[in-house]
Amino acid sequence: MTIRSQIKRIIALHPFYSLLIIIVVVLAIAGCLVPLWYTKVRRIEDQVKLIEGKVDQELDFRLIHRTSMLFSSINSTATNLVRMLNSSLGDNSLQFYIIKSKIASALFQGLSTIPYLKQISYIGLDGLFFAYYTQGDQPYALYSNSTFQNSSNSYTWYVQTADRNAGKLYGDATKFPPSAVVNSSWVQNALNSTNVFVSVASGWGNDSDILLLSTAGMLRKSAVSLGFSLEPIVEFLVSELAIYNGSFYLATKDGKVLTQGIPGMRIVLTDDHVSLQLVSSDGDKVYAAGDITCGSNNGGSVLSIWDRKFEMHCSQVEIAGLQLVYVLAVPSNEFSSNIDKNIRWAFALLLIMIGVVVAMICAFVYLVVECLRREMHLCRDLINQKEATQQAERKSMNKSLAFASASHDIRASLAGIRGLIDLCYNEVSRRRLSLQELLTNLSQMDSCTLDLVGILNSILDTSKIEAGKMQLDEEEFDMEELLENVVDLYHPLGIKKGVDIILDPCNGSVSKCSRVRGDRGKLKQILSNLVSNAVKFTSEGDVTVGAWTRKQSLENEIIASNVNSSMKCLLCFKAESESESGNNNVKRDSNCVEFVFEVSDTGEGIPKEKQKAVFENYVQVKESVAGQEGTGLGLGIVQSLVRLMGGEIRLVNKDVGERGTCFRFNVFLSAAAAVAETRAHDIESNGDGVLSDSYKSRVSERSQVILFIHNPKRRKVVQGFMQRLGIKVRVIGEDERLPSALKQINQKLNLSYYYNNSSSTNSRSDGAASRTSSMRSRDVTLSARDEIMDNVLASKKKGSAHVRSFTFILLVIDIRAGPFKETWKAVAEFRRGLNERCSSRAIWLYDPTMSSSSSHAMDMDRLPRSDLIISKPFHGSRLRQAVRLLPELGGAIAREEERLPLSKRVSFGGTRTSSSSASSKSGVRGKIPKHSFGVAKKSEIEEVGGSSSKNPMEGKRVLVVDDDLVGRRIASAVCKQLGADAVTCENGAEACQEFYRRLQQDDIENAGRPLSPPFDCIFMDCQMPVMNGVEATAEIRKAELNKFHTPIIALTAHQQGEELEAMMEAGADAYLTKPLKKTHLSRVMFDLYTTN
Amino acid sequence: MEVDQLQRSFRDYTNALFREFGQLQLLQDESNPDFVVEVVSLFFEDSERLLNDLTTALDQQNVDFKKIDAHVHQLKGSSSSIGAQRVRNACTDFRSFCEVQNVEGCLKCLQNVKQEYLLVKAKLEALLRLEQQILAAGGTVPMLDYIA
Repeated sequence: MTIRSQIKRIIALHPFYSLLIIIVVVLAIAGCLVPLWYTKVRRIEDQVKLIEGKVDQELDFRLIHRTSMLFSSINSTATNLVRMLNSSLGDNSLQFYIIKSKIASALFQGLSTIPYLKQISYIGLDGLFFAYYTQGDQPYALYSNSTFQNSSNSYTWYVQTADRNAGKLYGDATKFPPSAVVNSSWVQNALNSTNVFVSVASGWGNDSDILLLSTAGMLRKSAVSLGFSLEPIVEFLVSELAIYNGSFYLATKDGKVLTQGIPGMRIVLTDDHVSLQLVSSDGDKVYAAGDITCGSNNGGSVLSIWDRKFEMHCSQVEIAGLQLVYVLAVPSNEFSSNIDKNIRWAFALLLIMIGVVVAMICAFVYLVVECLRREMHLCRDLINQKEATQQAERKSMNKSLAFASASHDIRASLAGIRGLIDLCYNEVSRRRLSLQELLTNLSQMDSCTLDLVGILNSILDTSKIEAGKMQLDEEEFDMEELLENVVDLYHPLGIKKGVDIILDPCNGSVSKCSRVRGDRGKLKQILSNLVSNAVKFTSEGDVTVGAWTRKQSLENEIIASNVNSSMKCLLCFKAESESESGNNNVKRDSNCVEFVFEVSDTGEGIPKEKQKAVFENYVQVKESVAGQEGTGLGLGIVQSLVRLMGGEIRLVNKDVGERGTCFRFNVFLSAAAAVAETRAHDIESNGDGVLSDSYKSRVSERSQVILFIHNPKRRKVVQGFMQRLGIKVRVIGEDERLPSALKQINQKLNLSYYYNNSSSTNSRSDGAASRTSSMRSRDVTLSARDEIMDNVLASKKKGSAHVRSFTFILLVIDIRAGPFKETWKAVAEFRRGLNERCSSRAIWLYDPTMSSSSSHAMDMDRLPRSDLIISKPFHGSRLRQAVRLLPELGGAIAREEERLPLSKRVSFGGTRTSSSSASSKSGVRGKIPKHSFGVAKKSEIEEVGGSSSKNPMEGKRVLVVDDDLVGRRIASAVCKQLGADAVTCENGAEACQEFYRRLQQDDIENAGRPLSPPFDCIFMDCQMPVMNGVEATAEIRKAELNKFHTPIIALTAHQQGEELEAMMEAGADAYLTKPLKKTHLSRVMFDLYTTN
Repeated sequence: MEVDQLQRSFRDYTNALFREFGQLQLLQDESNPDFVVEVVSLFFEDSERLLNDLTTALDQQNVDFKKIDAHVHQLKGSSSSIGAQRVRNACTDFRSFCEVQNVEGCLKCLQNVKQEYLLVKAKLEALLRLEQQILAAGGTVPMLDYIA
């Protein structure tokens, strides 16, 4: 891989050199191989030549010499014939007639039987002569009938035709010029030698015929000569040679040329040399073509004749004893030059191949280089693009960072402007009269700057999120409490607009794992934003805030991961993705709980097409709605925050016909399970853990809640909550009138009461009971009858031991639901009508921001002492507290003394629902619940105090922090009277110092032992110089390090408001309004200690 | 008979004054016999000091509303501690004017507060006098039915 890439790189960097190298390599290989190949081919050529030479030799020896041997028998024929004649003639001198009778016939026989014989002659030395020869097919006889002595002058030869069959002479004898045949060399040689003498001579008949004469001497007086035709011999040889494409020359040793081979060329034989001569077509001019030396048998010399190369072989051959020279001209180039040519062709092809290979390599390298160049181009482009992107990202980051860091500067300037406006305002207001307009302008300016600060804050939040500087501050907190805080915070605002804000506990699952770890501040910000938005855009109806937990399931995880991936695409900020991965870890944690929140309003709603844009920054959906300002950043921030917590926010479609918008989001928080579990364990070991199921059964037996609430939604929520607890709820709807409804209920109750009395004394059979009940309740409605049935059955179940039980009725009455006077009267009447076995308490829901007429009408003094007045929205902790008033859940009934502190202690468990483990787990919370005593809470507390212990604060150490001397004095007096030991401080800073001092002292004294709180209780005024109550509370909570929890009770002159909210948020457990009353104080203390 | 008379008038007086006064009385016991007098005089001292401060502060050329607000708050605190509701309410009004920095309104409120204060003071002083008279006459100070 690396080597390949390296090679690639090298090629890309030096394309030319690498190309050169490759070519050189190829050529080097070719250069090595070609000579090798060439030598091999040469060797083949040599071998071929060798074979060729052998073929030549074969020509020489096998063909020619063997052919010549074929003719060697010719000589023996002559001798045999001579011997035969000798024996027949004897040693006599011969006469012509003898010759004619005896010899002529023998000669004729020889002529007709011996093959190729053309001529046969008897030559006498004395001149007698007789010969036969054939011309064409006709044999002729040539003879001389006289000797030299007989006719010295008229020695003549005669020619006479002979009979073809017998050789008899016929016809006329014509004279034939005699030749000196006797003296010719060949006759002489034949006579002198014993052997046959062979010579070449022309025949008698036709001079052009060259015959091979084989002459044998006979008794030295005569000779017999046989003349063979040379033609067939030569023809045979030529035809044999034809396959070699050769030409054949034959000559006698003495230079007589017998055959000429190549037309137009002739040979001249001189001794051992053969000279070749070219003859022009007309035969006039002769050119010498070359000389050959005969006898060198190895190979021949090569001559080029008429542009053709001939290989000349010259050698001697003996045919029938005659020495001959022959020249063989074979076209030399035919064989080896063909090979040569082929070799050259092959070589050329090889070179072409190499060339093509080189060319191909060049092309290939070129292509590769081209590709690489393009790749590098792309790479460069990519890098450039990446750099540009990174730069852009950096710029954007820097922008965001600068934005975030600019916060201080901008805020400072704005603060400056505000200060200046303040100054101007002061200045102007001093010279009051003339500058009214300026004054209003200034106040407008001030409000503008305030808005500006708000907008700036939201923009800065956005930039902070974008810059990835937003971090989650994990802390442990109570989810229920948070929800309640948020809702309570916006409740007054909503009421002012006529919008009720309702906290819906939904299925109550939140209370099961209320203690969680997470970023409280940001969650609150999200909720606040959504709620305030909802309030802002709702003009009538209500805003509902719901929350529930969801079990982690596979599906959820998949969704969550999907969300994450999409989130990654959307927000490619490093920090965000980091925190995201952190969240993923949280999600995988088994301890993790998914909370789902829903904020739903009955406002105008958001049109479908704009729903997508809702979460985008700087987009405001309802531009048209006047008077609702904002940057449009709110929901964008909310979304970012939700995502930061690993969740997702979306708009939920409301049912058809319902108005408004519904936002739903989920977040993942880890449950603070460890604390809850250990606590639960403690409780169980103490034996106080009571199952909520038992509450359920008990509740249904004895108590009833009557709801008379103005707002239908809230009514539904409260009803649902109570019914989940198993409490019997009677709802008086809008259409019903309270007095008549109450009257009806009263009747039913009395009926059941009487029935109970009678049933306890009379029959106990169920059937009888139901029959009687149905008989008695003939006049009541069907539903009422059912309720009675329930009561009957319930009391039956309980058995006789509890027959004497009270029925407790809790009235929840919303003052807004009707004219107060009427309502009050109805309730009073209802109470009067109750029988002795019934007790009742009322909770009055009162709205302090309500119009003055109704609040004036509400005279609290006229209410019974045991009644509660709740001025804040009736949900959350107040709802739970109200439920706790039920005796089964630990509430104290006026007149009933026997059951108190213990049952009170478990009461919290009862307010939560369903499973036993859940109830015991959540039953004891890490923090002490808060109790508000908004307007008045009366005599009940005395009874509580009186019945349990006289002084709940006996021996306690108390710290009173108040800047107001009078207040301090009173508070400490109250504490002292309750038996507590009070220490006072003037402000928060002093209080903190005192706290630290005691803590350290404790530390020194109790070295090794767990820390104990230096004070049992702290009363903290809210507004103080140097350090106010909020800061001091926060400080003290910090100093506690979660090791213990000092109850802090806020003191305030206000009834409610931001101050108190801040105190509660800082960690105060309860609050008391001034003037401080012993009863209130002891009630709060009692609650604190009994629950802790 | 005189004591009875005095006691009845005391009861009437306190009822007319403010209910919360009973709270103060409740806190007075053997261990702390002069509690009411002590607290009331503390309240007087404190309030007079604060009222003086407020008067001078509002007379200044450059009104320091923060300071005024703090003073009013203190006054409000002590008055609500002692249970002087009317003074407290007046203080609340005062603070709202203070918040919008309306000097005119503040001055008006100051007058109002002073008036209320003087009223309370007169009543309290009369009450204390009555109490002393009762004690001098050998009677006991009647406990008020503050719950009513």
